[in-house]
Amino acid sequence: MALSGTARNELKRLLGPRGVVDSPIGRLAYESDGLALIHQAPEIVLLPRNTAECAGAMSVLASEGVPVVGRGAGTGLSGGATPVEGGALIATARMRDVLELNVVDRYARVQAGVVNVDLTQMCAEHGLFYAPDPSSQQACTIGGNVGENSGGPHCFKYGATTRHVLGLVIVRADGSILDLSEPQYEPQGYDLIGTFVGSEGTLGIATEVTVRLTQKPAAIETLLAVFPSLDGACDATSDLIAARIEPSAIEILDKLTIEAVEASVFRAGYPKDAEAVLLVEAEGSEVEVASTVRDVTRIARARGAIEVRSARSDSERKKLWAGRKGAFGAMGRIAPDLYVADVCVPRTRLKELVRETTRIAKEKGLKLANVFHAGDGNLHPNISYDRRNPDEVERVLTAGREIMALCVAAGGSLTGEHGVGLEKRDEMCLVFNDDDLRAMTLVREAWDPERRLNPGKLLPIRGCREARGAHAPSVGHGR
Amino acid sequence: MNDAELVDYAKTLDCIHCGLCLRTCPTYQLTGNESSSPRGRIALMRAVAEGRLDASEPGYGAELDFCLVCRHCESVCPAGVRFGEMMEHARSALAAAVTAPLSVRFVRWIGFRVALRSRFVLARVHGALRLAQRGGILPVLGRAMGARGQGLASLPEIPPSAERRLLAPFTAATRTRQGTVAVLEGCVMPEMYGRVNRATVSVLTKLGFDVLTTRESTCCGALHAHNGELDQARELARATIEAFEKLSPAGSETAQVVVNSAGCGAHMKELGRLLAQDPLWAQRAQRFSDQVVDFSQFVAPRLPASQRLILEGSGEMLRVAYDDPCHLCHGQGIRAEPRQLLDRIEGVTRVEMRSSESCCGSAGIYAMLRPEESQAVLAPKLEEFAAIGAQCLVTANPGCQMQWQSGLARVNSTAQVVHIAELLDRALQP
Ligand SMILES: Cc1cc2nc3c(=O)[nH]c(=O)nc-3n(C[C@H](O)[C@H](O)[C@H](O)COP(=O)(O)OP(=O)(O)OC[C@H]3O[C@@H](n4cnc5c(N)ncnc54)[C@H](O)[C@@H]3O)c2cc1C
Ligand code: SF4
Ligand code: SF4
Repeated sequence: MALSGTARNELKRLLGPRGVVDSPIGRLAYESDGLALIHQAPEIVLLPRNTAECAGAMSVLASEGVPVVGRGAGTGLSGGATPVEGGALIATARMRDVLELNVVDRYARVQAGVVNVDLTQMCAEHGLFYAPDPSSQQACTIGGNVGENSGGPHCFKYGATTRHVLGLVIVRADGSILDLSEPQYEPQGYDLIGTFVGSEGTLGIATEVTVRLTQKPAAIETLLAVFPSLDGACDATSDLIAARIEPSAIEILDKLTIEAVEASVFRAGYPKDAEAVLLVEAEGSEVEVASTVRDVTRIARARGAIEVRSARSDSERKKLWAGRKGAFGAMGRIAPDLYVADVCVPRTRLKELVRETTRIAKEKGLKLANVFHAGDGNLHPNISYDRRNPDEVERVLTAGREIMALCVAAGGSLTGEHGVGLEKRDEMCLVFNDDDLRAMTLVREAWDPERRLNPGKLLPIRGCREARGAHAPSVGHGR
Repeated sequence: MNDAELVDYAKTLDCIHCGLCLRTCPTYQLTGNESSSPRGRIALMRAVAEGRLDASEPGYGAELDFCLVCRHCESVCPAGVRFGEMMEHARSALAAAVTAPLSVRFVRWIGFRVALRSRFVLARVHGALRLAQRGGILPVLGRAMGARGQGLASLPEIPPSAERRLLAPFTAATRTRQGTVAVLEGCVMPEMYGRVNRATVSVLTKLGFDVLTTRESTCCGALHAHNGELDQARELARATIEAFEKLSPAGSETAQVVVNSAGCGAHMKELGRLLAQDPLWAQRAQRFSDQVVDFSQFVAPRLPASQRLILEGSGEMLRVAYDDPCHLCHGQGIRAEPRQLLDRIEGVTRVEMRSSESCCGSAGIYAMLRPEESQAVLAPKLEEFAAIGAQCLVTANPGCQMQWQSGLARVNSTAQVVHIAELLDRALQP
């Protein structure tokens, strides 16, 4: 349904002239999120400054029956924040205030638009940090992290976003406000917060988030193990897991990724002649760290590492991580566009599945780089392409689907941390049957009976049988 | 002109739409609006090139104008997007394709064609401004002009004419001679900050360098290039190159060109690119660009380890904060050298501002053209400066110096604002 003139005026009155963007140019800038393959301009963009403004806007949109998509920084990689036709976009870019910082009870209450890294910087002086550290942390918002249940390298130890959200204020589809902002350390009754985290904007718009803050460890050591083969790095990871050695992060970068990073502003000093590097961080007491470092070094060497070295200074440590975190973007140097797949596999089978993904890309004549959260078994095959070449785009999409099917069949999952969004919506059928999906739909409709929030995302629109018919991968479905 | 020429399409394709640049962009910070972000601006440029957006649509030009060209987005962009170059191209093509209102064209003509190119006019303008300031007319006039006049009202005091004199063509080294360097005197610099130029020369001579200057070039054209006047920028570039070449006649050692203005330095280091399509000049321009060094970049490695730097003062330590000029940190990648130099001065405690790499809002002539936005960009930095209890702001660019001076004055701060050359000169005994 189109938005009436009266509603537009009402929105401008509520949010002020700067809170409403409806010029063709203004809307054009919101066509895509980090998944640039898909674009769709929104009908209107709304920029509320607080919960009340957001709720007011939502009521107006509800009375007009207009669909609503929530947006943080639009760094999502699965099209979660891509607008829908004729729909409104509610962006949190003007909700950037820290509302409360409690260093004793170690939590913070922030507006949803606060940028991840700002939160961590803000509590640094108190010896605290916000643990989930997506590689996009310099831009992505806490609200977006909640939407996607985002992870990051250090979530190997600390767990993804859902483990760090203690409270939420949610504006629901009808404009009502659900205030769950009191920190909850144990869910009582139905776990509404747990349900909301990772719901990709389909259940409501979070306007405030109460997050757990974590104490900085006494000691940190970052190790870089250099391997003459990608296999070796994968094997070393599987061994570390099997031996129950628990560093806080285990990441792998392959040769192509290293080359791209070293050519970018995030140059980190990774050896360019290595086939792969393993980046490992150990945290804890001095004693724990020393013992982890010994174990990691021993295992890496046993799997053929030619060199294992520690970051000599805090600035070198930061550089090694900045390089890892800049890796996706740096791949942009290789081709105009980049498709970042995001799948999980059993960590005992890393080597084999990494090989398989490489084979799939090779078969289709595509360039694939591997940079991933090895400790979590979260693969990110990065395929570079040029969107102006429709044939190549098609091959990329097929490769993406095949990779997902492969990992699901091997006992892994569709998404590690980037969410389902538009990109993987139909692949949900690889993992879930119609009954599962019906149960999820019931949850969604309990929150949003009209299904106006982020419609067409997360859950397949049609039944799975039809969706499978559309592009059935040759592998059987996971369950 | 067809759509494709309006933008540097190939460069826009470097952007992978990841959004990592959003938070660093001052105009996005102000508005929360993605069309005012680097990614958004690139998307608009792409849309123009692909024929999906009409460049004469006023909103397009407005977004290009709103950008400060601070290039912070470049420093964080993993894909290596060259935003500054894209912007120069887009602004210049737009200016050629779309006719601006007469009043705007007139102001630009006066500014770019007449004033910046003539020492005579620059001196008269600044003389007149000083008179107006002293007579109390300027603040009144500025206020009467409303928002546009704020820049005039809060202009730092223009020095008396005795201080607005030019440098000598040659100044001899005062210590064992190490070599010869040339110094860019600049266009606005001698008028507003003649003392900074003199401090620059003084430091260099104390380090053992003979210093040459040239009066044959006035403006290097940086302001023109940033504002899309590319043809004029090229003309001024050729004049600048020629003038400096004359300082090192064939056969003599080629003197490096020391620049104390970050904006000019960043631009002059890129003249090779600006004139790359000009067969007669491409090589000369590149050779010249290779000779250009920023003041700190030149001094830091040449200051002997044994050299003590002492700031005589009240006996108390002076708390200084260094604010990275955008065109030094993002444009030239220079961050460490100024800090190394400051850390060597006895009597100085250096405190870091978390926001040191974000734009202060000066941005060439931006502060004059859009005073409201410019001051809003500075506001959070003023707060942080006060919060960390700094007493002195050190910069390395005249525009930033002016911006901080007027900003601190507005909040009635007593903190001083100095160019790093001034502080070094004071600390370096003759
Ligand atoms: C270079 C790069 C690296 C990345 N690395 C990682 C990584 O290491 N780990 C990882 O997990 N992800 C990563 N991502 C993906 C992405 O950054 C995360 O998903 C991030 O959490 C998205 O945050 P955002 O603010 O950009 O949200 P958006 O992209 O704007 O939105 C994401 C989803 O959340 C919803 N949403 C946004 N705000 C709200 C709100 N206030 N309330 C309810 N729903 C909301 C949206 O509707 C959408 O469905 C990366 C992305 C890039 C470009
Ligand atoms: S960081 Fe670079 S690649 Fe990413 S959106 Fe910004 S300009 Fe584009
Ligand atoms: S140059 Fe500065 S103002 Fe312009 S888009 Fe980049 S960060 Fe924003």
